[in-house]
Amino acid sequence: MGFLDVEDLKVYFPIKGGLFNRTLGNVKAVDGVSFSIEEGKTYGLVGESGSGKTTTGRAIIGLNDITAGKVSFEGKDLTSKKSKTSAVRKDIQMIFQDPYSSLNPRKRVLDIVAEPLRNYEKLSKQAEKQRVGELLEMVGLSPESILKYPHEFSGGQRQRIGVARTIALKPKLIIADEPVSALDVSVQAQVLNFMQDIQKELNLTYLFISHDLGVVKHMCDDIGIMYKGRYVEQGTKQDIFENPQHIYTKRLVAAIPDIDPKNREAQKQFREEVQREYEHSYNDYFDNDGLAYGLQSVSDTHLVALPEKG
Amino acid sequence: MWKFIVRRLVITFPQIILLSLLVFLMAEMMPGDALSGLLDPNIDPAAIEEQRIKLGLNDPWHIKYADWVAGLVQGDLGQSFKFKMPVTELIEQRLVNSFWLGVATLIFTYLIAIPLGITSGRYNDTWADQMITGYTYIGFATPLFIFALVVLWIFGFQLQWFPTSGSVEPGMVPGTFEYVLSKIQHLLLPSLSLALITTVNTVQYLRSEIIDTKQKDFIITARAKGASESRVYNRHILRNSLLPIAAFFGFEITGLIGGTVFVEQIFGYPGMGQLFLESVVGRDYSVVTSVVLLFGIASILGALISDIILSLVDPRIRIK
Amino acid sequence: METNNVNGQDQVQDTTKSPSGASIFWREITRDKMALISLIFLVLITAFVYGISLFLNKEEIVRVDLFSIHQAPSEEFWLGTDYGGRDVFGQLIIGTRNSLSIGILVTLMTGIIGIVYGLVSGYFGGQVDNMMMRILDFFLILPFLMVVIAFVAIVPTYSVWTFSLIMTAFLWMGIARLIRSKVLQEKELDYAQASKTLGSSNFKIMFLQVLPNVTSLIVVTMTLNLAANIGLESGLSFLGFGFPESTPSLGTLLSYATNPQTLEYRWWIWVPAAVLILLLMLAVRNVGEALKRAADARQRRG
Repeated sequence: MGFLDVEDLKVYFPIKGGLFNRTLGNVKAVDGVSFSIEEGKTYGLVGESGSGKTTTGRAIIGLNDITAGKVSFEGKDLTSKKSKTSAVRKDIQMIFQDPYSSLNPRKRVLDIVAEPLRNYEKLSKQAEKQRVGELLEMVGLSPESILKYPHEFSGGQRQRIGVARTIALKPKLIIADEPVSALDVSVQAQVLNFMQDIQKELNLTYLFISHDLGVVKHMCDDIGIMYKGRYVEQGTKQDIFENPQHIYTKRLVAAIPDIDPKNREAQKQFREEVQREYEHSYNDYFDNDGLAYGLQSVSDTHLVALPEKG
Repeated sequence: MWKFIVRRLVITFPQIILLSLLVFLMAEMMPGDALSGLLDPNIDPAAIEEQRIKLGLNDPWHIKYADWVAGLVQGDLGQSFKFKMPVTELIEQRLVNSFWLGVATLIFTYLIAIPLGITSGRYNDTWADQMITGYTYIGFATPLFIFALVVLWIFGFQLQWFPTSGSVEPGMVPGTFEYVLSKIQHLLLPSLSLALITTVNTVQYLRSEIIDTKQKDFIITARAKGASESRVYNRHILRNSLLPIAAFFGFEITGLIGGTVFVEQIFGYPGMGQLFLESVVGRDYSVVTSVVLLFGIASILGALISDIILSLVDPRIRIK
Repeated sequence: METNNVNGQDQVQDTTKSPSGASIFWREITRDKMALISLIFLVLITAFVYGISLFLNKEEIVRVDLFSIHQAPSEEFWLGTDYGGRDVFGQLIIGTRNSLSIGILVTLMTGIIGIVYGLVSGYFGGQVDNMMMRILDFFLILPFLMVVIAFVAIVPTYSVWTFSLIMTAFLWMGIARLIRSKVLQEKELDYAQASKTLGSSNFKIMFLQVLPNVTSLIVVTMTLNLAANIGLESGLSFLGFGFPESTPSLGTLLSYATNPQTLEYRWWIWVPAAVLILLLMLAVRNVGEALKRAADARQRRG
């Protein structure tokens, strides 16, 4: 029994049409994804837009309906309808991508951060204010800003308010959906480091969703790479960055810019090599529909989507 | 394309059924029934009861409803107890009058809206535009019946340019030129006052549509290609702005129906609206329900036609 | 403290509390002379008619006095008398009060129904929304005036309350549709999604999270509806299907003008009421349009 186990998760969106709005087909946003996360670790989910990584995160927390598959958290099944409202949900929280739209513009910071507390804990007005103040301090904001509105804060500050709200219920798992991609680059590192600080402090587990391999390299212990709703490769940080097996991963890794001019030549060669391989052996990595194959083990920790041998 | 039309038709039927249920409910709520107006009060109550059973007036509601609908389908709207004649016959002449009033109003509505809307949109923020916007602003705030009263007072009574009631001069022979002329003269004042108020919506829509279109990239492209100003307007802007307006006439029907009630009452014009009010006051309920039903169906069909035309004109609607 | 560049400047001076919706509305109205005059006019006339009618003897005004039928304006009757010898000026005051009251009542009732209907339909979306919109479309398509008149005529116990209920039953659709389309957009925003993950119930999300974000739309729509409802009520009363004659409204006074004699020769009975309805509707609309500009940041004047 793992901490979070996702088994063969499928999320399909129906395509409606025709005379009576029948379902004509499905968009397979997530098509058979399996992974598990260990407690206290950060698991990175990487892919281009439309690859299904966000949908995976949203399905785990219950914002998208699961078509098939199983999600279990500390052994408890999250897939059934009943669990949507159960207390397990309290242990899983989410940080949203856009700090502008994820905070209700008509609510004061106090009301925003206190929202989860009001749902699960019955606190007196005074105690609630105290808790919100503590939470704000924890994320590095002054407790005086409790009566301000979200638009009075910068993007980075807003994301901190979002984090304060997320950790209010002392969750165990936090799904961070591109938490910094809407922020200025200068602020990104600040927020990331601070996320790592509170991870240690509160013993949090992150499911870190991002398209930015640089950020993922900085944050994550294990990484899964998604493409068109499927996994193409999964492994530890070393597996992915030092020994990428799938051509898609290789191309991603090759695209990471390197600031050190000494490596420029090597980088260029690596990139060209990958490009050649991509042109020659595309068919070895993708099936006729352009989708990835099933996962094969390369080592204990490393899985790659390759056609079955033989 | 045909998919949209079929789908739109599919939702029209429940609408008509709902309407018929509503009207039936109204009829049921009304005091008295088909017999109470017809019979001599001196007749033995037992005989009335027998007659009631024979006519099916004591049946449960769903059977009554089925009977009523069956009658409707055959064109039987019941009897007017006040005029002692079938409602269909009673309505016929009134319907013709209201029809012409509606047609005249629609013509005036577009005759006013199109030049005003185009001027206002093309030359926006000039004095002409400001005058027109001022007119629409006041037109929006003026209740139709007040406007109609004032028009009648000024043009009917003070200046005496137009007749103040009726649909035709009494004593005219139908079919003669004078008869038609007199009809038109009676139509002018009611339809103009109705059109002047209802047209403000269309004027405003057209204005904002043209101003919007003016700033679109394809218009700028047309200008950049060197098309003359009149060509830009006639070929590009108007084509895009006028078609939806033309399609709105179906939606206008719902508004027109409300308007005719006021206008016919004020100008003493013998149409459906006036008949409706007379019947409500005279408690001639079978006429009341028939008028509501007919006008309800007219609005439903009007909206249907408009939706279909709009979907032909504007492909975005079809995807909905 | 850094401020974000989206809505910068004006927050800097005011760090403890940001401008609330009400103060934005207020600023916009005071910037627009017509709207300000309209608002003052409305406040004055409301205070006047409600205040004065406390001291007026209502029975006295609606009592028929056959010795003073159709008198022209004079010292005793400022605006003359009607066919029952009743003081037109007194009726005008009571009528304005009644018209305003019912306009406000109907606006509030349609507002509440429309808001709840729109919120539920937009928030749940999908099949629920589909069904609810079909029903709404049906109501929208009915010939409003005729249906209302027919119901007014057949309702067994007719009072001001049943009248407003009937009006409400066929007038809630416009605001419901506006709210619904706004809610459809709002519920997709991350703050509503976030509320779900934080354990808030649908009910809480609808009324505590989404509703505050549609308030400006509600205020604007309800103000414009108020103008329309005053017009509708007076129209129905004009046709004889609004208030009973013992409770005069502005429309009742106008209905005397259906008599050609009155229309032609006794202007004092109907012209003041007509002018008053026009002014009321224009004033309410002016305020409503100013609010509309305030709600839409791009159109604000100040």
